[in-house]
Amino acid sequence: MTDDVDVTVTVNGETVTARVPPRLHAADFLRHRVGLTGTHVGCEQGVCGMCTVLVDGDAVKSCLLFAAQLDGCTVRTVESLATGDRLHPLQQAFKDAHALQCGFCTPGFLMTVTALTDRGERLSEPEIREEIAGVLCRCTGYDPIVKAIARHLDATAADDAARAAR
Amino acid sequence: MTGTLEQRSAPAEGRTSLLGTSAARKEDDRLLRGDGRFTDDIEPAHALEMAVGRSPYPHARILGIDLGLAAELEGVRHILVGADVRSATRPLTVLRPVPGAPALPYYALAGDVVRYEGEPVVSVVATSRAVAEDALELIEIDYEPIPHVSDAMAALEPGAPQVHPGLVERNLMVSNPEGTGDPEARVAAADVVVEGRFRINRVTGLPMETRGIVAEWRPGARELTVHSSTQVPHLVRKQLAEVLSLPESDIRAVASDVGGGFGLKLGIYPEDVLACLHAMALRRPVKWVEDRMEHFRATTHAREATHDYRIAARSDGQIVAITDTYATDLGGWNSSFGSAQLSSVVFTGPYKVDDGYVERRVVLTNKTPIGAYRGYGQPEVNFACERLIDRLARRLGIDPLELRAKNMLRPEDLPWRNPAGAVYDSGDYELCLRMAAEAIDYDAHRAAPRVPRADGRLVGIGLSSFVERTGYASSRFLARRGSQFGAHESVTLRANRSGGIDVYTGVSTMGQSSETAFAQVVGEVFGIAYDAVKVHAGDTGASPLNTGAFASRTMIAAAGALTAASEALQAKTLRLAAWILECGAEDVEVAGTVVRRRDDPAVSVPLADVFTAAILGQGIPPEEEPGLEATAHFEPTDAAYSFGTAAALVSVDPDTGEFDVERFVLVHDCGTAVNPMVVEGQVRGALVQGLGAALGEELRYDADTGQLVNGTMMDYFAPAAPDVPPIELLHTEVPSPVTPFGIRGVGEVGTIPPAAAIANALCDALVDFGVELDTLPLTPEVVWQAMRGR
Ligand code: FES
Ligand code: FES
Repeated sequence: MTDDVDVTVTVNGETVTARVPPRLHAADFLRHRVGLTGTHVGCEQGVCGMCTVLVDGDAVKSCLLFAAQLDGCTVRTVESLATGDRLHPLQQAFKDAHALQCGFCTPGFLMTVTALTDRGERLSEPEIREEIAGVLCRCTGYDPIVKAIARHLDATAADDAARAAR
Repeated sequence: MTGTLEQRSAPAEGRTSLLGTSAARKEDDRLLRGDGRFTDDIEPAHALEMAVGRSPYPHARILGIDLGLAAELEGVRHILVGADVRSATRPLTVLRPVPGAPALPYYALAGDVVRYEGEPVVSVVATSRAVAEDALELIEIDYEPIPHVSDAMAALEPGAPQVHPGLVERNLMVSNPEGTGDPEARVAAADVVVEGRFRINRVTGLPMETRGIVAEWRPGARELTVHSSTQVPHLVRKQLAEVLSLPESDIRAVASDVGGGFGLKLGIYPEDVLACLHAMALRRPVKWVEDRMEHFRATTHAREATHDYRIAARSDGQIVAITDTYATDLGGWNSSFGSAQLSSVVFTGPYKVDDGYVERRVVLTNKTPIGAYRGYGQPEVNFACERLIDRLARRLGIDPLELRAKNMLRPEDLPWRNPAGAVYDSGDYELCLRMAAEAIDYDAHRAAPRVPRADGRLVGIGLSSFVERTGYASSRFLARRGSQFGAHESVTLRANRSGGIDVYTGVSTMGQSSETAFAQVVGEVFGIAYDAVKVHAGDTGASPLNTGAFASRTMIAAAGALTAASEALQAKTLRLAAWILECGAEDVEVAGTVVRRRDDPAVSVPLADVFTAAILGQGIPPEEEPGLEATAHFEPTDAAYSFGTAAALVSVDPDTGEFDVERFVLVHDCGTAVNPMVVEGQVRGALVQGLGAALGEELRYDADTGQLVNGTMMDYFAPAAPDVPPIELLHTEVPSPVTPFGIRGVGEVGTIPPAAAIANALCDALVDFGVELDTLPLTPEVVWQAMRGR
């Protein structure tokens, strides 16, 4: 259509250019145009958090953004976390703690926590709960997710400290 | 054995290292990497998308549908209205009929009358969902609203609007009475009788993945392939065959990853039929993915019920009779599973009472149809029963803990048939009760003076004990209820040349960890390494006909089938390996990736070699057939009854009614735990759903307009991480004598006790206010009003 817009966006390190309808939201763009179906859609209303991705380092709900707004941005999705067949330590922490059941919410949590980890802080359990309040999970009851995140943040902070000491 | 599941280290006695351990989940890696395959992830070439136009009215006559310019809109390919569906299909069939009730002619699109807000009226297929929705905007539907009824009790009143006039009298689909003894005589002669009306809220299971379907039709091949987010692919195939008048052989249903089901994804819905009709008309794949606004109106709701519950007792606390007459709200049409049926089955809870009566009334209203949801009636009746037990205790001046203990069935009473005919198999109910009390410091609380805490809050402890039916007691039992499915599970095991075993099952993967647990059983019984077992789930084209993932039945039934198939496969494997190793089959055993001599483990042959020999038919004994594959079916003889007690500690602000659940303890027995990590996960997840339903979730309908007022994620408050109170899980492990390995179902238990335990705790804290809570959900507003006697 004539009113389509051009976007150029870096997704997981690769440059993507596309012509998109103005009303296409970023989650649908990533899923159906870029083919990264790890980002899920649960409400298209900014509540459930299934669609959380990193845009220029911030965890955002991609259902609330238009694809056109991604022009010039750097996006990271869940597909970027593992290296080859090796899970990212955060993914491993989720696996170890049984922090996923159906797994539909998992990408949203992983990306939320990826942004959180970049802040390099250790957080208390209630703080973690507040930080992830924007992502819903209907299967796990959250405790295992909170545990996985706490362990991961602690391990990351300890690594950082060790590196600084060297 | 008792304690937390995490505490148990070594496998229990008599087990090898696989069953009963927290094996890492088979499902995790793909899901963690964003590599799951949910329905909307499937994108066949040339797929079109469907959007559904729905009634905004709860009850209206459709006077006309004017398609206007919709058909001419660029990108629109096909439009269906009610008349098209009536000529091309039969009404939707149900899987679990309401015993004794008439069948309702529920078509995929409404005919002359719509009966709930959200009922499909027209559907459009276009090159994109957005274009299909644009087309819906152009379609004019002329509705004439007619009086509606949105409350089940009001629907039973004379003069109420009739939802299905001519088919159902006075909106009462049916009433199903059951019972034994003479409860009325016992009530009349009892020292004390307590009774109450308990209202249970309408909620929804709210899986994070909504429903969805991708339908493809190849007329030349006569093959309808349906990818669907369903718990029961084989039953979807069956129902689609019935509704579309196709032979089952023309249909393949596939459910790969399902983003949560909880009972909502049992059987077909109108949109499944519509997508197939469009795909068959267009010879193009058609996709429909429910959006969340639709989900709140178009996917079944659950729970809503009113229980009139009554307990008669002697003055020493001995219960002599229990009766429960309750109404479930079915909504405007019957769904595949209909409204909850298990309130009746466990209406007397864990208590020993011979005289009992229960009557279930199924009532029609102009609301979204009700369907199965985790618990399926057991949370509802638990709320009524356990609230009333506390009231009885207060009336008699007996401690509620002791009153429960006094009336509970003892281990030596079991097996025992309750007044509804349910046969409780085994268990130590009182042990769970005492453990819960100890964990929450019950005695210290009772001994402490009843004064506000230093922070001004009043503290209360509440208990809720329960018995839960898991699984089904044989297909003969189901046949008596008219159920259109069996009680069995079936699996096919197939050896492959890489030395692995492929497991084919119709049980789809929805978070319940069946791939993991199935592989554990195969590993355990066959002796093959866990990593060498791969489970292929949810494809009717590949798996033997089965029943599906619901009613906490999967593991109970599947464990038997997996065991039988593993044994058959193993026996042949050992014979072939013995031939290769030139010894007797009794001299060899499977160990991980090889078959080896028992007396000399160094002498071995890789499983890959044995399997390859079998597949090629080369290097096998002359009397053996080639191939290495086994299919087995297993039907349990009885249902297994789980049990437990929850204890909640709450603190209440006596001025505002605001309260916190400060601790929540659940002591639960699910028999033998195949995978303790998974068991914990199932129990905890269901508990949080139960807490959500107890404390905040409610689908509210406006009485005047009959419309759902909070049908968005923004207004329906499913718990987020900060909302969950601290939960402590303790387990006992009494193996069931009636199931393979002593397994009891575990998926639903958590939904049962939260509401009653918390309500009892609140009433305990507010005993000086004489508060009796009988309505869910339990919000600060409800508590505050109860404190003021409103
Ligand atoms: S889909 Fe974006 S927040 Fe729910
Ligand atoms: S694991 Fe199913 S929603 Fe979180």
